Amino acid sequence: MKLGRRFRITVTVVLVLLAVYFIFPFYWLTIGITKNVGQLFQKSLLPGIPSHLRENVSRVFAYQDGVFFHWMGNSLLYAGVGAFMGVFIASLAGYAFRRYDFIGRRLLFVLILAFAMVPGFATTLPLFMMFRDLNLLDTRLAILLPSFVNVFGTYMMVAYWNQVSDEVFDAAEIDGANDFTIYWRIGLPNIFPGAITLFLLAFVGAWNNFFLPLVLLNSRAKMPLILGITTITDPQGFPVYNLTLTASFFTILPLLIMFISLQRYFKPQVYMR
Amino acid sequence: MRWITKKRLKSTAKAYLFLAPFLVLFIGMVVYPIGLGVKLSTYGQRGARMWYVGAENYTRIFSDSMFWQSFRIPLFLLLIQVPLMLFLATILAFLYETRRRDGAVFRFLYYLPYTIPGIVSGLVWSYIFSDSMSPLRPVLDLLGRSDVKLLTRDNVPPILLVIILWQFTGYTAFLVYSSLIAIPREYSEAAQLDGASFWQIAFRIKLPLLRDPLITMFIFNAIGAMQVFNEPWMLGGLVVLPLNYTPAMYIYNSAFSQGRFTYAAAMGIILAGLTCLFSLYILRTASKQMLGRRLE
Repeated sequence: MKLGRRFRITVTVVLVLLAVYFIFPFYWLTIGITKNVGQLFQKSLLPGIPSHLRENVSRVFAYQDGVFFHWMGNSLLYAGVGAFMGVFIASLAGYAFRRYDFIGRRLLFVLILAFAMVPGFATTLPLFMMFRDLNLLDTRLAILLPSFVNVFGTYMMVAYWNQVSDEVFDAAEIDGANDFTIYWRIGLPNIFPGAITLFLLAFVGAWNNFFLPLVLLNSRAKMPLILGITTITDPQGFPVYNLTLTASFFTILPLLIMFISLQRYFKPQVYMR
Repeated sequence: MRWITKKRLKSTAKAYLFLAPFLVLFIGMVVYPIGLGVKLSTYGQRGARMWYVGAENYTRIFSDSMFWQSFRIPLFLLLIQVPLMLFLATILAFLYETRRRDGAVFRFLYYLPYTIPGIVSGLVWSYIFSDSMSPLRPVLDLLGRSDVKLLTRDNVPPILLVIILWQFTGYTAFLVYSSLIAIPREYSEAAQLDGASFWQIAFRIKLPLLRDPLITMFIFNAIGAMQVFNEPWMLGGLVVLPLNYTPAMYIYNSAFSQGRFTYAAAMGIILAGLTCLFSLYILRTASKQMLGRRLE
């Protein structure tokens, strides 16, 4: 479409101004971690001079005998293992929907769809009661087990498997491959790109999940980063802004790196069908 | 009606072998807890003692003004934030379209906040608006308005607006843009030959074609608005907010500050029910599209 010069310039100006809004918190966080509390209270938009970045980082790492590294490890465990198991189990279920005309197929699919819409925190409270009876409260398993069920991922897996053509399976069947071999050797490579996308989405979802660990965990050593950073205080219980900011920075850094380097796998596809 | 044949039984057995891990966890971690939630919601509770009360929790919730007041924030978001965001995102998507090639950097930058967890967005923005650290403070001082307080309870809704728009507008714009570029060019080219302007083409021709994705996004955001928790929770670290500031906060606080688990469970069921009501539309279209393909 041909557009006037003035229109194009106006568009550019609007886009640049909006970019300021979207970038500003990133900028403010980045300069924030170079400041101590006194410098934060000066409200300047420039990095702290002298820079307290190294001091902030080492204080976060040393906080409560290095509990920060426990948080980081827990986040990696909850997000990594949870996302992997969730997607793997979902791929098995999706395969069943694609390959077999089984009794209860339609009902099960509608159930999956219906439960994909149930908000997570509606199950969190009953999960708390359930895990309390099972003596699983305040354990890592209590965070991991619910993340192994990826209902949305299962729904997406059905869609991915539907895109694999019949010929692929027929050829394998003629060669006499058994069902699991067909799934593993023939099927999986076909849905791999979709599986990576789902893994990344589940990873980010678990990394950012605040409510579940807030309800189920007490011990700081078992908390993920996202919960841990909100518990940083000085010995008297008062917030320490510079340390909280620095820890937040390290919470989102892996996400930003992952998103920027794996951008093509983050294609949003929820609404587009 | 399909007959139950030997072949069908065999494939059923195989299918459930693949479905087994999912089903076990799905029942244990989703279906059973929801059932348990429903059951708990029919119990009265004092400390560890529980007894069956039928629908009493629900009748009490219906007359609990604290519960209904907690919907003020979701309602505010639903009526102001969601429409505003969809409007801005649609305009942005139209602008993106004029910059298909060199606009990638803007699309990327606007999308970036979506990758940040609500807790961290809430935290950073609450600091940015806090009276001890806000860069807006010097501006207010310069304008001679040093008496104005930024982070007060009354200002929390507009601050939430700023935060949530920041988080989701770029993402939503990208989704609208994805639908937009799927519209065949002939549509706008024909209108252009008839002398239609850019905005006429955008609003008269393209906007109606975006109806379905926009409705879907509206519903997803309405659901999000009803469940809002993380952002007000973080703002609550710097300004005192009531226990029932949002429905999710009221449920959490009822259970864990006041120990009223069964009452909180009943509220959770009501909120989940409302969510499902919203999502019925999506459910219907999605199941229509997905089943019926293959095998059927």
